[in-house]
Amino acid sequence: MTKEEVIEVIKRNIVENLDDVEADSIDPTKSMKEYGANSLDMIEVVSTSMRELNIKIPRSELAELGNIDELADKFMEYINKG
Amino acid sequence: MKAEENVPVRWHLDDNGVAELMMCDREHNNLFTDSFIDAFLGALSEIEKERPICLLISGLPDVFSGGADKETLLDLCDGKIVVKDLEISERLVAAPFPIVSAMQGHAVGGGLVIGLCSDVMVLARESRYGAVFMNLGFTPGMGTTELLPMAFGPFIASEMMLGGRTFRGGELAERGVPVNAIVPKADVYRRARRIALQIADKPVDSVYLLKYTLSSEKRKRLIDARRNEDLMHRITFAMPETRRRISEQYNE
Repeated sequence: MTKEEVIEVIKRNIVENLDDVEADSIDPTKSMKEYGANSLDMIEVVSTSMRELNIKIPRSELAELGNIDELADKFMEYINKG
Repeated sequence: MKAEENVPVRWHLDDNGVAELMMCDREHNNLFTDSFIDAFLGALSEIEKERPICLLISGLPDVFSGGADKETLLDLCDGKIVVKDLEISERLVAAPFPIVSAMQGHAVGGGLVIGLCSDVMVLARESRYGAVFMNLGFTPGMGTTELLPMAFGPFIASEMMLGGRTFRGGELAERGVPVNAIVPKADVYRRARRIALQIADKPVDSVYLLKYTLSSEKRKRLIDARRNEDLMHRITFAMPETRRRISEQYNE
Protein backbone atom coordinates (compact mmCIF):
# COMPACT_ATOMS: atom_id res chain seq x y z
CA MET A 1 0.00 0.00 0.00
CA THR A 2 1.30 3.46 -0.87
CA LYS A 3 1.35 6.48 1.39
CA GLU A 4 -1.11 8.21 -0.95
CA GLU A 5 -3.59 5.39 -0.38
CA VAL A 6 -3.11 5.66 3.37
CA ILE A 7 -3.81 9.40 3.17
CA GLU A 8 -6.98 8.64 1.21
CA VAL A 9 -8.14 6.31 4.01
CA ILE A 10 -7.48 9.00 6.61
CA LYS A 11 -9.24 11.64 4.52
CA ARG A 12 -12.28 9.45 4.06
CA ASN A 13 -12.53 8.90 7.80
CA ILE A 14 -12.17 12.62 8.46
CA VAL A 15 -15.06 13.29 6.09
CA GLU A 16 -17.16 10.60 7.78
CA ASN A 17 -16.42 11.87 11.27
CA LEU A 18 -16.67 15.64 10.84
CA ASP A 19 -19.39 17.94 9.63
CA ASP A 20 -18.98 19.93 6.42
CA VAL A 21 -15.52 18.75 5.34
CA GLU A 22 -14.85 17.55 1.78
CA ALA A 23 -12.00 15.15 1.01
CA ASP A 24 -10.58 17.36 -1.75
CA SER A 25 -10.26 20.31 0.60
CA ILE A 26 -8.11 18.42 3.12
CA ASP A 27 -4.45 19.44 3.14
CA PRO A 28 -2.30 16.68 4.73
CA THR A 29 0.24 19.21 6.02
CA LYS A 30 -2.44 20.52 8.35
CA SER A 31 -3.71 19.14 11.63
CA MET A 32 -7.20 17.67 11.87
CA LYS A 33 -7.89 20.40 14.39
CA GLU A 34 -7.91 22.91 11.56
CA TYR A 35 -10.92 21.11 10.12
CA GLY A 36 -12.79 21.43 13.40
CA ALA A 37 -11.84 18.08 14.94
CA ASN A 38 -11.85 17.88 18.72
CA SER A 39 -9.90 15.34 20.76
CA LEU A 40 -12.53 12.59 20.58
CA ASP A 41 -13.06 13.19 16.84
CA MET A 42 -9.34 12.59 16.30
CA ILE A 43 -9.44 9.39 18.33
CA GLU A 44 -12.32 8.10 16.17
CA VAL A 45 -10.59 9.04 12.90
CA VAL A 46 -7.34 7.39 13.98
CA SER A 47 -8.88 4.24 15.42
CA THR A 48 -11.23 3.71 12.47
CA SER A 49 -8.35 4.20 10.04
CA MET A 50 -6.14 1.77 11.95
CA ARG A 51 -8.86 -0.87 11.90
CA GLU A 52 -9.27 -0.37 8.16
CA LEU A 53 -5.51 -0.68 7.59
CA ASN A 54 -5.27 -3.61 9.98
CA ILE A 55 -2.60 -2.05 12.19
CA LYS A 56 -2.37 -1.31 15.91
CA ILE A 57 -0.26 1.55 17.21
CA PRO A 58 0.11 2.37 20.91
CA ARG A 59 -1.44 5.70 21.89
CA SER A 60 1.84 6.99 23.27
CA GLU A 61 3.31 6.93 19.75
CA LEU A 62 0.38 8.83 18.29
CA ALA A 63 0.24 11.61 20.85
CA GLU A 64 3.17 13.59 19.49
CA LEU A 65 2.08 13.67 15.83
CA GLY A 66 1.37 17.14 14.48
CA ASN A 67 -0.47 16.71 11.18
CA ILE A 68 -2.15 14.26 8.81
CA ASP A 69 1.05 13.65 6.84
CA GLU A 70 2.95 12.62 9.98
CA LEU A 71 0.06 10.33 10.89
CA ALA A 72 0.30 8.71 7.45
CA ASP A 73 4.07 8.23 7.93
CA LYS A 74 3.46 6.55 11.27
CA PHE A 75 0.84 4.29 9.66
CA MET A 76 3.28 3.39 6.85
CA GLU A 77 5.90 2.42 9.40
CA TYR A 78 3.51 -0.13 10.90
CA ILE A 79 2.14 -1.31 7.54
CA ASN A 80 5.67 -2.09 6.40
CA LYS A 81 6.43 -3.87 9.67
CA GLY A 82 3.25 -5.97 9.07
CA MET B 1 -7.98 38.60 38.75
CA LYS B 2 -7.00 35.84 41.14
CA ALA B 3 -7.08 32.38 39.68
CA GLU B 4 -10.08 30.52 41.01
CA GLU B 5 -9.54 27.45 43.09
CA ASN B 6 -10.46 24.20 41.33
CA VAL B 7 -13.82 23.27 42.84
CA PRO B 8 -15.12 20.09 41.18
CA VAL B 9 -18.81 20.93 41.52
CA ARG B 10 -20.77 24.14 42.16
CA TRP B 11 -24.47 24.62 42.66
CA HIS B 12 -27.02 27.31 43.37
CA LEU B 13 -30.77 27.70 43.56
CA ASP B 14 -32.40 30.48 41.56
CA ASP B 15 -35.60 32.44 42.20
CA ASN B 16 -37.58 30.25 39.80
CA GLY B 17 -36.99 27.17 41.90
CA VAL B 18 -34.43 25.74 39.48
CA ALA B 19 -31.30 24.34 41.15
CA GLU B 20 -28.26 24.37 38.90
CA LEU B 21 -25.41 21.94 39.43
CA MET B 22 -22.30 22.68 37.42
CA MET B 23 -19.59 20.04 37.07
CA CYS B 24 -16.49 22.19 36.69
CA ASP B 25 -13.47 20.07 37.59
CA ARG B 26 -11.21 21.51 34.89
CA GLU B 27 -8.18 19.82 36.39
CA HIS B 28 -9.56 16.31 35.82
CA ASN B 29 -12.13 17.08 33.09
CA ASN B 30 -15.00 15.95 35.31
CA LEU B 31 -13.67 12.42 35.60
CA PHE B 32 -15.12 10.49 38.52
CA THR B 33 -12.23 10.93 40.92
CA ASP B 34 -13.00 10.26 44.59
CA SER B 35 -13.13 13.97 45.35
CA PHE B 36 -15.41 14.61 42.37
CA ILE B 37 -17.87 11.89 43.41
CA ASP B 38 -17.91 13.12 47.00
CA ALA B 39 -18.53 16.70 45.85
CA PHE B 40 -21.22 15.61 43.39
CA LEU B 41 -23.12 13.46 45.89
CA GLY B 42 -22.65 16.11 48.61
CA ALA B 43 -24.12 18.77 46.35
CA LEU B 44 -27.08 16.49 45.54
CA SER B 45 -27.81 16.05 49.25
CA GLU B 46 -27.71 19.79 49.84
CA ILE B 47 -29.89 20.45 46.81
CA GLU B 48 -32.46 17.89 48.01
CA LYS B 49 -32.80 19.80 51.29
CA GLU B 50 -33.73 22.95 49.36
CA ARG B 51 -36.65 21.23 47.56
CA PRO B 52 -36.05 22.79 44.15
CA ILE B 53 -38.76 22.20 41.55
CA CYS B 54 -36.20 21.07 39.00
CA LEU B 55 -32.45 20.40 38.74
CA LEU B 56 -30.37 21.50 35.78
CA ILE B 57 -27.00 19.73 35.43
CA SER B 58 -24.30 21.13 33.17
CA GLY B 59 -20.61 20.48 32.58
CA LEU B 60 -17.62 22.22 31.06
CA PRO B 61 -18.06 23.62 27.53
CA ASP B 62 -15.93 20.85 26.00
CA VAL B 63 -16.46 18.03 28.49
CA PHE B 64 -19.67 17.08 30.25
CA SER B 65 -17.96 14.14 31.94
CA GLY B 66 -15.64 11.32 30.99
CA GLY B 67 -16.76 8.85 33.65
CA ALA B 68 -14.42 6.75 35.78
CA ASP B 69 -10.77 7.70 36.24
CA LYS B 70 -7.82 5.38 35.71
CA GLU B 71 -6.95 4.87 39.38
CA THR B 72 -10.48 3.80 40.21
CA LEU B 73 -10.53 1.33 37.32
CA LEU B 74 -7.19 -0.18 38.26
CA ASP B 75 -8.31 -0.49 41.88
CA LEU B 76 -11.38 -2.31 40.57
CA CYS B 77 -9.10 -4.71 38.70
CA ASP B 78 -7.31 -5.37 41.98
CA GLY B 79 -10.61 -5.92 43.75
CA LYS B 80 -9.60 -3.22 46.23
CA ILE B 81 -12.67 -1.04 46.24
CA VAL B 82 -16.40 -1.03 45.97
CA VAL B 83 -17.81 0.81 42.99
CA LYS B 84 -18.66 4.24 44.27
CA ASP B 85 -19.83 5.69 40.96
CA LEU B 86 -22.83 3.35 41.06
CA GLU B 87 -24.17 5.59 43.74
CA ILE B 88 -24.34 8.42 41.22
CA SER B 89 -26.87 6.61 39.03
CA GLU B 90 -28.87 5.41 42.00
CA ARG B 91 -29.08 8.86 43.56
CA LEU B 92 -29.98 10.56 40.29
CA VAL B 93 -32.70 8.09 39.40
CA ALA B 94 -34.14 8.34 42.92
CA ALA B 95 -34.04 12.16 43.02
CA PRO B 96 -37.41 13.63 44.01
CA PHE B 97 -37.17 16.43 41.42
CA PRO B 98 -36.92 16.17 37.62
CA ILE B 99 -33.41 16.47 36.23
CA VAL B 100 -32.49 18.25 33.00
CA SER B 101 -28.99 17.54 31.65
CA ALA B 102 -27.42 20.21 29.44
CA MET B 103 -24.71 18.12 27.79
CA GLN B 104 -22.72 20.67 25.82
CA GLY B 105 -19.45 18.79 25.89
CA HIS B 106 -18.45 15.13 25.42
CA ALA B 107 -20.05 12.55 27.66
CA VAL B 108 -18.62 9.07 27.69
CA GLY B 109 -18.98 6.05 29.96
CA GLY B 110 -20.28 7.10 33.34
CA GLY B 111 -20.51 10.66 32.06
CA LEU B 112 -23.17 9.57 29.59
CA VAL B 113 -24.98 7.73 32.38
CA ILE B 114 -25.58 11.03 34.19
CA GLY B 115 -27.62 12.06 31.16
CA LEU B 116 -29.36 8.68 30.95
CA CYS B 117 -30.47 9.03 34.57
CA SER B 118 -32.02 12.42 33.82
CA ASP B 119 -35.57 13.14 32.75
CA VAL B 120 -34.55 15.53 29.98
CA MET B 121 -31.39 15.31 27.87
CA VAL B 122 -30.09 18.02 25.54
CA LEU B 123 -27.04 17.11 23.42
CA ALA B 124 -24.71 19.12 21.18
CA ARG B 125 -24.36 18.34 17.47
CA GLU B 126 -20.59 18.79 17.63
CA SER B 127 -19.83 16.82 20.79
CA ARG B 128 -19.38 13.08 21.14
CA TYR B 129 -21.28 10.60 23.26
CA GLY B 130 -20.35 7.04 23.92
CA ALA B 131 -20.60 3.98 26.15
CA VAL B 132 -16.91 3.16 25.77
CA PHE B 133 -16.56 0.66 28.63
CA MET B 134 -15.76 -2.32 26.38
CA ASN B 135 -12.82 -0.51 24.76
CA LEU B 136 -11.18 -0.98 28.14
CA GLY B 137 -12.11 -4.66 28.24
CA PHE B 138 -14.84 -4.57 30.88
CA THR B 139 -18.60 -4.64 30.55
CA PRO B 140 -20.75 -1.51 30.98
CA GLY B 141 -21.76 -0.39 34.45
CA MET B 142 -23.83 2.18 36.35
CA GLY B 143 -27.03 0.84 34.81
CA THR B 144 -25.98 1.45 31.21
CA THR B 145 -27.15 -1.97 30.00
CA GLU B 146 -30.75 -1.09 30.88
CA LEU B 147 -30.81 2.70 30.70
CA LEU B 148 -29.11 3.12 27.32
CA PRO B 149 -31.47 0.86 25.29
CA MET B 150 -34.38 2.53 27.07
CA ALA B 151 -33.18 6.00 26.10
CA PHE B 152 -31.56 5.59 22.67
CA GLY B 153 -33.29 2.43 21.41
CA PRO B 154 -31.96 -1.16 21.58
CA PHE B 155 -30.03 -1.30 18.30
CA ILE B 156 -28.10 1.91 18.66
CA ALA B 157 -27.50 1.08 22.32
CA SER B 158 -26.04 -2.32 21.34
CA GLU B 159 -23.77 -0.72 18.75
CA MET B 160 -22.62 1.87 21.27
CA MET B 161 -21.93 -0.68 24.00
CA LEU B 162 -20.49 -3.54 21.91
CA GLY B 163 -18.53 -1.38 19.48
CA GLY B 164 -17.39 1.24 21.97
CA ARG B 165 -17.38 4.01 19.35
CA THR B 166 -18.26 7.55 20.31
CA PHE B 167 -21.00 9.18 18.22
CA ARG B 168 -21.28 12.84 17.30
CA GLY B 169 -24.50 14.42 18.46
CA GLY B 170 -25.23 15.21 14.80
CA GLU B 171 -24.99 11.52 13.89
CA LEU B 172 -27.30 10.54 16.74
CA ALA B 173 -29.78 13.12 15.47
CA GLU B 174 -29.64 11.64 11.95
CA ARG B 175 -30.27 8.20 13.38
CA GLY B 176 -33.33 9.51 15.14
CA VAL B 177 -32.18 9.07 18.73
CA PRO B 178 -35.20 10.31 20.64
CA VAL B 179 -33.67 12.65 23.22
CA ASN B 180 -35.22 16.06 23.85
CA ALA B 181 -32.96 18.04 21.56
CA ILE B 182 -29.68 17.76 19.66
CA VAL B 183 -28.70 21.33 18.83
CA PRO B 184 -25.55 23.34 18.07
CA LYS B 185 -23.29 23.47 21.10
CA ALA B 186 -23.89 27.17 21.64
CA ASP B 187 -27.63 26.56 22.06
CA VAL B 188 -27.51 23.57 24.42
CA TYR B 189 -27.57 25.41 27.71
CA ARG B 190 -30.28 27.85 26.63
CA ARG B 191 -32.49 25.06 25.32
CA ALA B 192 -32.05 22.99 28.49
CA ARG B 193 -32.71 25.95 30.75
CA ARG B 194 -35.87 26.79 28.84
CA ILE B 195 -37.21 23.28 29.53
CA ALA B 196 -36.18 23.55 33.20
CA LEU B 197 -38.06 26.84 33.51
CA GLN B 198 -41.19 25.33 31.95
CA ILE B 199 -41.09 22.61 34.61
CA ALA B 200 -40.37 25.11 37.39
CA ASP B 201 -43.56 26.96 36.53
CA LYS B 202 -45.65 24.13 38.04
CA PRO B 203 -46.49 23.45 41.72
CA VAL B 204 -43.62 21.67 43.41
CA ASP B 205 -45.78 18.95 45.02
CA SER B 206 -47.39 18.07 41.70
CA VAL B 207 -44.02 17.98 39.98
CA TYR B 208 -42.60 15.67 42.67
CA LEU B 209 -45.58 13.32 42.46
CA LEU B 210 -45.39 13.07 38.70
CA LYS B 211 -41.62 12.67 38.75
CA TYR B 212 -41.97 9.78 41.21
CA THR B 213 -44.45 8.05 38.94
CA LEU B 214 -42.51 8.65 35.73
CA SER B 215 -39.25 7.41 37.23
CA SER B 216 -40.59 4.11 38.56
CA GLU B 217 -39.60 2.19 35.41
CA LYS B 218 -36.05 3.54 35.54
CA ARG B 219 -35.70 2.72 39.22
CA LYS B 220 -36.80 -0.87 38.53
CA ARG B 221 -34.49 -1.22 35.56
CA LEU B 222 -31.55 0.08 37.52
CA ILE B 223 -32.04 -2.64 40.14
CA ASP B 224 -32.12 -5.29 37.37
CA ALA B 225 -29.09 -3.79 35.68
CA ARG B 226 -27.05 -3.79 38.85
CA ARG B 227 -27.56 -7.47 39.40
CA ASN B 228 -26.24 -8.38 35.94
CA GLU B 229 -23.60 -5.69 35.70
CA ASP B 230 -22.08 -6.57 39.10
CA LEU B 231 -21.76 -10.18 38.05
CA MET B 232 -20.18 -9.28 34.71
CA HIS B 233 -17.80 -6.87 36.46
CA ARG B 234 -16.61 -9.54 38.81
CA ILE B 235 -15.52 -11.53 35.77
CA THR B 236 -14.31 -8.81 33.43
CA PHE B 237 -12.34 -6.71 35.92
CA ALA B 238 -10.42 -9.80 36.97
CA MET B 239 -9.16 -10.42 33.42
CA PRO B 240 -5.51 -9.49 32.77
CA GLU B 241 -6.50 -8.06 29.40
CA THR B 242 -8.77 -5.52 31.08
CA ARG B 243 -5.90 -4.25 33.22
CA ARG B 244 -3.68 -4.03 30.15
CA ARG B 245 -6.27 -2.12 28.15
CA ILE B 246 -6.94 0.34 30.96
CA SER B 247 -3.22 1.05 31.39
CA GLU B 248 -2.78 1.59 27.64
CA GLN B 249 -5.87 3.64 26.88
CA TYR B 250 -5.37 6.17 29.61
CA ASN B 251 -1.90 6.95 28.40
CA GLU B 252 -1.75 10.70 28.76
